[in-house]
This record gives sequence, structure tokens and C-alpha cells, in this order.
Amino acid sequence: MQIQYKKKRNLLQNLFLSELVQGMWLTLRRLFTKPITLQYPHEQPNVRRGFRGQHALVRDPETHTTRCVGCMKCVMVCPSRCIRIRIQKRPEHGNRRFISAYHIDALRCVYCGYCAEVCPVNAIILTEVFAYSAFDRKSLSYDMPQLLDNWDRYLAEQGEDLAQYVNPTWRPRGLPEGPMPAGKRLPVPDDWKGKGQVVGRLWRQSVQGQNR
Amino acid sequence: MHILILLLYILLLFTVVMLHVAYATYFERKIIGHMQVRMGPMEVGWHGLLQPIADGIKCFFKEDIIPENVDPLGFRLAPVVSLTAMVASLAVLPFAPGWVLADIDIGLLFVFAMSGLAGYGVILAGWASNSKFSFLGGLRSMAQVISYEIALGLSLVGVMLLSGSLNLSTIVEAQGGTFGGMYIFPQFIAFGVFFVAMLAETNRVPFDLPEAEAELVSGYSTEYSGMRYAIFFMAEYVGMLVMSSLGTICFFGGWSGPFAVPYFPALWFVLKVYAFMFVFIWIRATMPRYRYDQLMELGWKWLIPLALANIVLTAVCKALF
Ligand code: SF4
Ligand code: SF4
Repeated sequence: MQIQYKKKRNLLQNLFLSELVQGMWLTLRRLFTKPITLQYPHEQPNVRRGFRGQHALVRDPETHTTRCVGCMKCVMVCPSRCIRIRIQKRPEHGNRRFISAYHIDALRCVYCGYCAEVCPVNAIILTEVFAYSAFDRKSLSYDMPQLLDNWDRYLAEQGEDLAQYVNPTWRPRGLPEGPMPAGKRLPVPDDWKGKGQVVGRLWRQSVQGQNR
Repeated sequence: MHILILLLYILLLFTVVMLHVAYATYFERKIIGHMQVRMGPMEVGWHGLLQPIADGIKCFFKEDIIPENVDPLGFRLAPVVSLTAMVASLAVLPFAPGWVLADIDIGLLFVFAMSGLAGYGVILAGWASNSKFSFLGGLRSMAQVISYEIALGLSLVGVMLLSGSLNLSTIVEAQGGTFGGMYIFPQFIAFGVFFVAMLAETNRVPFDLPEAEAELVSGYSTEYSGMRYAIFFMAEYVGMLVMSSLGTICFFGGWSGPFAVPYFPALWFVLKVYAFMFVFIWIRATMPRYRYDQLMELGWKWLIPLALANIVLTAVCKALF
């Protein structure tokens, strides 16, 4: 790698402080640009799909409870160890696991999104809701009914149908389809996968006009 | 009767200057904000216009804390010394023909004396606070003020030579009220020295070593809070105002402008001072801070010799032509 240093200044440039003048010129030009500040409570940010915010457990329309199968992958992958799951097996249902408790301590979460990414049945999701502060610790430690409620509220707010819904926290853009568990091979637009995928700066540019 | 009118003038001047100081902070926050692509204060009033008032009220009603181990007398005295000295130099500044409280013949010397005295406030604060940060800030300030006071004084000797007077009104009149008559042209070296020394004298970036946040918490004002801190703040801004006025008077023809303004002859003066203030703020938004030894080197090895050379040059030219 070659480091490109600035050219050495000659005597005249030193005498007339050319570097200082350049700096001053830069700040003066910035004075007339539009500030990037978002006046938050008055203006709401434009949060796009894939933002990692409040947790929710997807409510299965058929069973009316979570889709979680108790594989414990999310518990294992969580870097801050903030997911706790209790499962039980009922003799009459053979080897099937039932979730009797599902806790997420949102205060310890670092919003990495690993739990949603690793879940084979897309049971847990990080929604785009970001303003959910509370006055005590307890109300930010979610149990299963609360997480399911989070999902109901979120879905109603977004006005979407679960059948068509897909979230980038479940299936990050640009992952190859082959190694994925079957549940994660959701139908997604072309720009999420393979050659056509659009990530990073291109993604930002591509969604600029579309309000999402 | 005469005394009463004078008192009224003093009160008027003080009020106007204090309002200016309040809005100078607003001006500064806005400009720095926009230069950093932010917005600055926006919440209090339309575009934050009432922010300085809110800040003033807040500072005024804060609890007056005097740490246990300080020297109480010095601690209380320091902000007052700073502010009084700075405000006193306002008395000799001519804002327009005849608009001057004390039209004395040693105006320029008086301003120097007072800005030197303001340095004592800072040193006293550093000493009396009994804290290492304040102490270091005070020491730095002492060294800085002493070395830059010399450069500042010497840089204006050329102006004195040209105008033949120390009276500020006379200096303005000697510039003749024309564009070409402004002393910035014959005295451009002196102006360069004056400008740098002025920044150092008012403890502004890039010479804000006495209150270098990154190293010294807040320098000499570390132990101060509430109104006492606000007084230091005011002293700094009045100092900026005084130095800007001095620059305007000595180099940019004071109140004279392209045409006379009826009812408010001070308009051109005020505009020039605002331009100076803008440059102060602009520099603050741009420059990094000097290192301490560089500061001393700049002062003693560059500015003072330059100012001396300028005096000799001016004197020779004046004698020859
Ligand atoms: S987002 Fe990361 S830290 Fe938070 S619960 Fe999921 S895996 Fe744990
Ligand atoms: S990874 Fe998904 S299915 Fe497995 S335990 Fe976690 S939420 Fe349940």
C-alpha cells in the first residue's frame, strides 16, 4: 500500500498560510449547506425495513401463539446472553417441545440481530420500533405475552399481511440461499439475493425515493 | 445634573453591551453549528432566539457553590476583576462622532491597561481555586497574557506614529473617513500581528490554552459554576467586543463608512465589529489549538520582532515622506 502524503508546501504557501486558508474556506462553505440535524420529537426519522429495534415474537395465525420450536439457537448465539427460554416436553406429544417461558431483557440487548438471523422458523424478529423507553427496569424485560403483543401492534401499525411479510433481520440481504434452513428461503425481491443484490451505499441510493 | 446624564449614558452603554454579549453567544452557537452542519439552538423561541435569555436566567438562579478548600476572597474577587476591567475599557471607545463616555487622550493606553488587568482576574481565579486544573490554566494565562500584551502594544505603535495621538477619536479622524485612508493599508504587518495577538489576548481558539477543555477540564474556571462562571463568560465576550472595536478603530476607520447614516451614526462601526466577531467565531469553528511551546515561540520569536520591525519601518517612512 502506498501512502499519499500531501505535497510539501513551498515558501510562498507557508508565508501566506495556505493550509489555514483552505481550512477556513471549507468551514465557510459548510456554513451555507443544509444542516443534517433531525429535530427528533418534532420530526420523525424515516426508519426503513431492517432497522433493528424492539423485539417481537411472531404470532402464528393458526395456533395464536409463537412459532418458536425451542431449538435454543437464539439463546446460544446471543452475545449478551439476554434471552432465556424454558421448554417442556409433554409425554402425549412425544418429542415435541413446548415453550413455557420466553424472556428477553431488552436492557441488556445490543441489537445485533443474531437471534432473528439464526432462528430457523423466523419466530423472533427485531422490529423497526425504536421509541419504547420506560420508567423502570422490569417493564423492559419482556416475557412471551408481551413479545407477542409487540408483534400484533407492529403488524397492525405496518398494515401488512404475515403471508407476504419478510424482514431483513430474518434473511439478511445478500446471503446465498443454499445453506439456509428451509424456513428462511422466503420469497424476496431480486435485489436481496444473488447477483442482483443491492447492499451498502447502492442500497441507500436505491431506496432514497421510496419511503421505507 | 451632568453626573446624572453620565450615569444614564453608562447604564445605557452597559445594557446595550450586555445584550450584545448575550446575543454574541447565540450568534456563535448558531454559526459554529451551521459550520459543523448542525443547527445550533432551536428550541427556545423562534429558531432558539430566546436561548441566551434562558441561559442567563438559568445561571442567575443556580446555587452558588464555593468549594471548601478555595481561598474565599480571591475566589469571589476573580470574576469581578475580570468583568470590571473589561467593561471599564468600553468607556473610552468612540462608537460614533461624540458617542464616547470618556474622550481621554490616553485612550489606547487605557484599553491596554484594562485588558492587562483582566488577565489578573484569570490568574487570581486559577490561584484561588486551589485545584490543579485551575492553577495550570491560570499559569498558562499569565504567560500568555504577558507575552502577547507586548506584541499587541507594539503592533499599535505604528498606528500611534501615523495618527500622532493616543486618543481613539483622533485616531479615527486621522484616517480621514475614506476607504484608502484606513490604516490597514499602510499598517498591514501591524494588523497581522495585532490580529493574532488579539486572539491570544482574549483567550480564543486557537490560543485558548488557559481553558483547554481537552487537557484542563475547563482551565481557570473549572471550580466555578452558576453566576460566577457566567461572569467569566461575559468578561470573555466583552473582551472580544473590546478587541474587535479596537481593531475597527485603529485599522478600519472606526465609524466612517461609504455614506453617513442618519439617526444612527454608529452603524458602520457596529457592522465592522460584527464582521470581526464573525471572524473570531469562524476561526473557532476551524482551527485546532496551539501547543504551548509553539504559542510562546510564535509570540516571542515572530510577533514581537515583526512588530518592532514595523515600528522602525513606519518611523523611517514617516520621517522621509
Ligand atoms: S439482538 Fe443480539 S443481543 Fe439482542 S437478543 Fe438478539 S442476539 Fe441477543
Ligand atoms: S432460534 Fe427461533 S425457534 Fe429457536 S429457540 Fe430461538 S426463537 Fe425459538
